[in-house]
Order: sequence, then structure tokens, then C-alpha cells
Amino acid sequence: MKTDLKWHIRVNVKAAIARAYVRVVGTNREFSWIFFDTLLPLLGTAAYVYIYRAMDAPEEYVGFVLLGGAMTAYWMNVLWNMASNFYFERQGWNLELYFIAPISRMAILAGMAIGGMFMTTIRAGSLIVLGSLLFNVSFSVSSVPLVVLTFVLTLVALYGLGMLFSSLFLMYGREAWHTSNLLQEPVYLLTGFYFPVRALGFYIAIAASIIPLTLGMDAVRQLVFSHLHFGLLPVHVEIAGLGVLGVGLLYAAGVALERMERAAKKEGRLTLRWQ
Amino acid sequence: MSEAIITEQLRREFRVDKEGKRREAFVALDGVDLEVNRGEIFGLLGPNGAGKTTLIKILSTLLTPTSGRAVVGGFDVTSDPYSVRRIINMVSGGEHSGYGILTVRENLWLFSQLYGIPNRVALERIDRLMDIVGLSDRARTKVHKLSTGQRQKMNFIRGFISDPEILFLDEPTLGLDVETSRVIRKYIREWVDGRPDRTVLLTTHYMAEADQLCDRLAIVNQGRILACDTPSALKRRVGQDSVLEIDVSAQAGRLQDLSGLSAKRGVRRVAISSDGQGALTHKLSVIVDGDGAIPGVLEFLAQCGAIVTGFKKTEPTLEDVFLELVGRRLTGENGSQVAHKG
Amino acid sequence: MAVGSRQAVECWRTFRLAAWLGWQMESNWADPFLFSIYSIVKPVSHSLILVVMYLVVRGQAAGAGLFAQMFVGNAFFLYVGQILFGLTWVIIEDREFYQMFKYMYVSTPNMYWYLLGRSFAKMAIATVSVVIVLAFGKMFLRLPIHASTVDLTMVCLSMLFGMVSCVGMGIGLAGVMLIIARHGGHASEAVAGALFLLSGAVFPIDILPRFALYLAKALPTTYWLEGVRRGLLGSGMSQAMAAFSDRELMIVLAVLSLLSVILGTLTFITCEKTAKSRGLIDMHTHH
Repeated sequence: MKTDLKWHIRVNVKAAIARAYVRVVGTNREFSWIFFDTLLPLLGTAAYVYIYRAMDAPEEYVGFVLLGGAMTAYWMNVLWNMASNFYFERQGWNLELYFIAPISRMAILAGMAIGGMFMTTIRAGSLIVLGSLLFNVSFSVSSVPLVVLTFVLTLVALYGLGMLFSSLFLMYGREAWHTSNLLQEPVYLLTGFYFPVRALGFYIAIAASIIPLTLGMDAVRQLVFSHLHFGLLPVHVEIAGLGVLGVGLLYAAGVALERMERAAKKEGRLTLRWQ
Repeated sequence: MSEAIITEQLRREFRVDKEGKRREAFVALDGVDLEVNRGEIFGLLGPNGAGKTTLIKILSTLLTPTSGRAVVGGFDVTSDPYSVRRIINMVSGGEHSGYGILTVRENLWLFSQLYGIPNRVALERIDRLMDIVGLSDRARTKVHKLSTGQRQKMNFIRGFISDPEILFLDEPTLGLDVETSRVIRKYIREWVDGRPDRTVLLTTHYMAEADQLCDRLAIVNQGRILACDTPSALKRRVGQDSVLEIDVSAQAGRLQDLSGLSAKRGVRRVAISSDGQGALTHKLSVIVDGDGAIPGVLEFLAQCGAIVTGFKKTEPTLEDVFLELVGRRLTGENGSQVAHKG
Repeated sequence: MAVGSRQAVECWRTFRLAAWLGWQMESNWADPFLFSIYSIVKPVSHSLILVVMYLVVRGQAAGAGLFAQMFVGNAFFLYVGQILFGLTWVIIEDREFYQMFKYMYVSTPNMYWYLLGRSFAKMAIATVSVVIVLAFGKMFLRLPIHASTVDLTMVCLSMLFGMVSCVGMGIGLAGVMLIIARHGGHASEAVAGALFLLSGAVFPIDILPRFALYLAKALPTTYWLEGVRRGLLGSGMSQAMAAFSDRELMIVLAVLSLLSVILGTLTFITCEKTAKSRGLIDMHTHH
């Protein structure tokens, strides 16, 4: 049993690394993404900066927009480079090969997420750095370790959510893809990508906290703009909430993946292309 | 357990849309009973839509059966799929798997990691297998630049990388040239013979491939197994007789002796043709009721002083078996009907 | 039949079939009710982001003035995203997932017409979205659009040239897709984001830095949105554009739209030639 568990862990780690390798190497084989995924998104985020400036908003809102723009990169990574990847793998004839291998589905998804993080982090990082320089944003970070902790917890919970979504793609094809497409703007709205989420009203914001980005961004903003007071909940409460969300979402993802896989095999949809 | 694969009354239905959006059941597999022994190459022959790929998908845990049971390597595919996956692999003909932006070697390394194979071992296997199928010079080529045949070679290698106990090959030589197909068939045979617990379940449309490779075959049609036996036994079902085409040289005066061949045991008919009186070469067409009659025929010819200059035996082919079985409706103890092909 | 008229017939047939295919791809993934929900929720959420941002800063988000200008610009900008995404995604999807691109390529007289046809469905969906958003704004946010004061000629002309310019840019971007890997699929969103900044979709271009202002004035989308605002609301948003009379605005828009079509087509042709010479038409780059 002990050898089995050791083997199980080893093969899943290897699978995750291999899948991450595909993404990292693939990204670096062709550099068009540097322009399309790094420089241009800065312009899109800048538009929201100018919206606030046109409204004569306080300058700290520029900082909110920059952080929101950076997190957009991770949300897009979760949605398109992880959650919907089973859809793309199925179209690319690879899904079957992953599913007949003795590996956890979450290992593959984790590999995709880790591999995609390379491009995503460059996008987010360049947005923050260049945006701060361009728009003279200054940060008053109260605790760097707490910012890092919050960020990591947010990502773990976010990727758990992404894995949960990915289970839909085992069963459904384009319906799930369009659902992912549908989720982009409502998530930007409900999680307060470009404004403090408290502006939505306390109860709506609390309900939106099921999406890890809501608590994550609010906490990071509070830590990074510590001289301002706009938070939904105290930072330590939000960090605890992220921890709970992370565990809960990862567990839910595991259950959902197993159930959806079983349902898809029963219906004969697991390997059904172009549905 | 001496059986690598067992299926018991395996059934698989699909719900398909009909006109007016009603969904009707389409039966892809209809009570399939199968036993594949360890160490054998077992073939599935059947027309398109017979249920071969559905069966492979169930056995490889990609699909659950509607009813019935399937056991692979001693593990139930429904209740213990993880254990099944540890000992199997699969190659489908015509698949486009892999990542186009990665090289052949990288793709194969990726798939080796899904089975936990140590890097050094994986790379050694990859290099050896690429050598065997003739893909070494394309190791560093991006997959999207490969031809169809080269891509299929890569897929083929992928199936063997994990050194599975049971390998499912779904038309593995599709798209490959004659020479490569020959190399691959040879490799499959050597691979199975290399270890007693290795088993291959193969589907193919190439009769010659099935005849050459398979220890046993099942003929599948409309989700049912119509016959299951060795290739020779299946061919004998269709017709016992073989025709021997023998070229001999003999002196003109000995022709009568040759015609006495028809009285030999096992010989049903003899036809002798020559180029005219006094001809030195003759062509005999001898219909025998089994291989057992051949030594007697040759002995007789030798006693007559005839020198055999050419010998060819023709017998029913798998194609004859296939058409014979698939072209008829079945009646047997199970209550279905038989009608002979007109 | 003369060669020219036969080609015209083939191009029209390609366009028509591509439009039908595009509509099938967009609409047949869900039942009508779900599709309606999707068509409403997505654009309304997009607009609500702006509404909340305005609310947070100004305390109220409704009525005339800057809010109305922003809202209308934001609504019509949906066309840009849809058309750019639609045209670029066709290449990625057909090439990488359905692997039909090479068959489409060899069967059509000109890929250009196939792409135009496929973009038609996106335009139709964008039109529905824009109408929904404007209706939402009128019903709940007191958007000052009144049938009696709408300058229909201005709106129609602006839309005509605006769509032409969007399609021109989209075709150019689609050409770029022919020679880059699948991860370039985000290109349309990125370019749309850049246009969102520079076209004055949601703020007056006057507040942009000088160099950006010059860029903004060179884009057809800036004039298109200005024209639509003038037609629907009676006035534009930017001082920089106020110098143009309605007639001058339309002339500049027409010229820039034509230029974007020419540049887009040239880009497409160049990229197509490159793709053919490097064997990239049916490349597969999913990772």
C-alpha cells in the first residue's frame, strides 16, 4: 500500500511537470504572445484608468484598476488555459490518451495551470510595473509576506474553481465553452476588478465572495493601499476565507471531476468531438 | 489468471437523435462474450460500425457498458478502472494526437511521463523505438510538420513506451507504407513473444495482416461476435478443400501414371494440362480435402519420376470467411436465423 | 458565363454559405431560451461594470451628460470585440480544432469572402447585444435617446463605415493569425483593448497624452463612435472631435474606413503568402 501511494504520488507529479513543460515550451517556441498578451493588455487596462480620470476619480482608483488588470490575467488563465482545456484537448485528440493513463485528472489540470502561469505572471507583472510607472501609482504595502500569502491562497482557490469548471467540459462541449465565455464579464463585475467590491453592497459582495477573486483582490488592495479604507471585511477574515475556499473548491473539484467523468462515460460523451 | 481480457454479455447502447428529435437506442454491442488469453495477439475483424472501437473504448475505460461485465488484466473496467489503466495502452490508426508545436521526442517523452517512467528509461525506449520504425531522423521535428505516416509511426511508438501488459491496437498500420507496415507487424510479434504476459487486441481491415499476425480472431458484425477461432480454423469452416497447382516435368510416356493420382487418399480431383503430345512440362491442378493429403501427392509424383518444378497451394482466405459470415443472418442455438448467401 | 461574373457568383456563394455556417456555429449549441439568457447577460454585465464605476465615483449613474456618452460608446464598442474576435477565432478554430481550414482554403475562390461571411454572424449577434444594452439603459438608467431626436442618417452612415472599418481591421488580424501559434488567439481581445483606449469609447480622447491623441485621431473607430453619439444623443464627447462638422466627420470616417480595408487586406494577403510558403496553413499548435 505504501509503495502504491508513493508510486501514485510520483506518477502524478511527473504528469503535472510534463504537462506544464508542454505549455511553457509551446509558449516559448513562438513569441507573438509577448506583444498580444503583455503590451496590448496594458492599453486595455489603461482605458479604465482614463475612465476614472475622465470622472475625476481619486487617484487611488488608478491603483485599483492596475491590480484588477493584473488579476484579469490570472482569471483568463483559469478560464481559458485550464477550465476549458479538456475541451481543446478533446478536439486535439489528446483527451483519450490522458484518460487511459493511470493519473489524476487534477494532475493534468495542475500542470496546465502551472505552465500557463509563466505567461500569465509576465503579463500581470509587466502590467503592474509599467502601469505604475506610466500612471505614477505608489503603493504603501503594510506587509509583503501577507501580500504573498494572500496572492498564493487566491491562486490556489482560483485554480480549484477552474478545476471545478473543467469538469463541465468532460460532459459538455460548446455549451460549457460558451458558459466560460459568459462568465468573463459578470466575474469582472461581481468581483470588483475595477472598483472596490464594497460598492456593490455588502450582501452582494459577500455572495460574490464564493469567487476567490473577490476576497483575494479586496485583501491584496487593503494590504497594498494600507492608507485607504475601502475593504469589505478585515484582511485576516478574508485570508481565512480564502483558505476555506481553497480547500473547499479543490475538494469539490475532485468530486465533480470524478462524477462528471463517470457521467460522460455513461453517456458516451467523454471522447465525443465537436459536440 | 490465464485470460488477459474477459467480457461477459457486454452490451452498449447509445441514444441517438432521430427525425423529430426523438432519441432512439442504437445498440453498438449486443451481448459480447469474449476471452483473450495472455500472450496472444487477438484480432477483431468486422465492417465499419460493427462495434470494434466501442469494444476497445470499454476495455480501455473510456466508456462504460450499459450492461454486462468486462475484466482486463483481472480488474473490472467499471469498478476498478485505475488498476486497468496501469497495465494498458492504446494506439488508434488515423489519430491526430500530440502537440504540433513540440518535437516528436518531446511528445513521446510527455506521454511516457503519464506512466511514471523514469526519464533515462523513457528516452532510451523512445530512441530504440524510433530506430525500429525509422523515425530517428525526425526526432527533433515539430509534429505539425510530419506526414500522416510519420505521425502514425509516432503514435505507434507512444503505445509501446509504457511497456503495457495489454495493448489495444485499433488499425495501427493505417496510413503506413508497405515496408513500414511489415516492420511494425514484425515488431508486434516479437514484442508479444518477448514476455509471456504481453497481450495485444488488434483491430484491422487488412485481412493479410490479421492472417499473418493474429493467433486468434473474432469476426464482429452489428455488435455481435459471429465467429471466434484461429485464422486457419475459420478458413476451414468456409471450405476444407485446398487446390494445389503443381508444375512438373515428365516424359511423355509417363502421363498415365500421373493421372493415377486421383485415386490417392485425400485427392478429390486431378486436372492435368500440357502443351501437347510429347510435352515435357505439365500443369496439375489437384483438389485435396486437407493438408494431410499433400505428402501423399508429392510421394506419388516422385514415384512416377516427375520432377516438381513449381508448387502453389490456394485455400479459402479470411476475406472469404468475412464475406461468408457477415453476408448472412445468423441462426443457431441462440434462436437467430441463418440464410445462405445467394 | 464570363470569368468575372463566374467569380462573382462563386464569391457570393462562399459568402452566403460562410454566413450560414457562422450562424450555425454561434447559435446551435443551446436551446433558444439559454441562448437568449446568454445574449442578454453578457452585454448587460459588460455595461454594468461601467455603471458601477460611475456610481462609485459620482454617486449616481443615470441620465444625460458624460454618463450617457460613456454608456453609448461602451455599448457600440461591443461590435469591435465581436468582429475582431470572430474573424480571428475562425482561423484558430477551423485550423486547430475542427481541422477543416485547409479544406475550406482549397474549396473557396478566396478565403477573404469566407472570413467575411463568418464575421456576418458575429455582427448579427453584436447588433442584438447592442440593442439589448441600449434598451436596458433607456429603461433603467434614463438614457436620453428619443425617437424624435435621433438622427437616423447619421447613425446609419456611421454604422456602415464603422462596420467596414472593423471588418477591415479584423481581416488584417485574421491574416496575422495564419502565421502565429494558437496562443495568439488572445490577440483580438488585446487589440480590442487597445482600441478601447484609443477610440474614446468610454472617455473623451482629450485627456489622452498628446502622442496618443494623434493616434486616436487616426483611427476610424474614433470617428465612428463620435458619429453614433451625435446621431443618438445629439452631441459627441470630445472637444478634439467637436471641430468636425457632421459632414466632415463622415468624410473622414469614410476615408479611414477605406484605408483600414486596404491595409487589412494587404496584411492578409502578405500573411497568407507567408503562411503558404512556410507550410503553416494547416499547422497545429495547441499546447
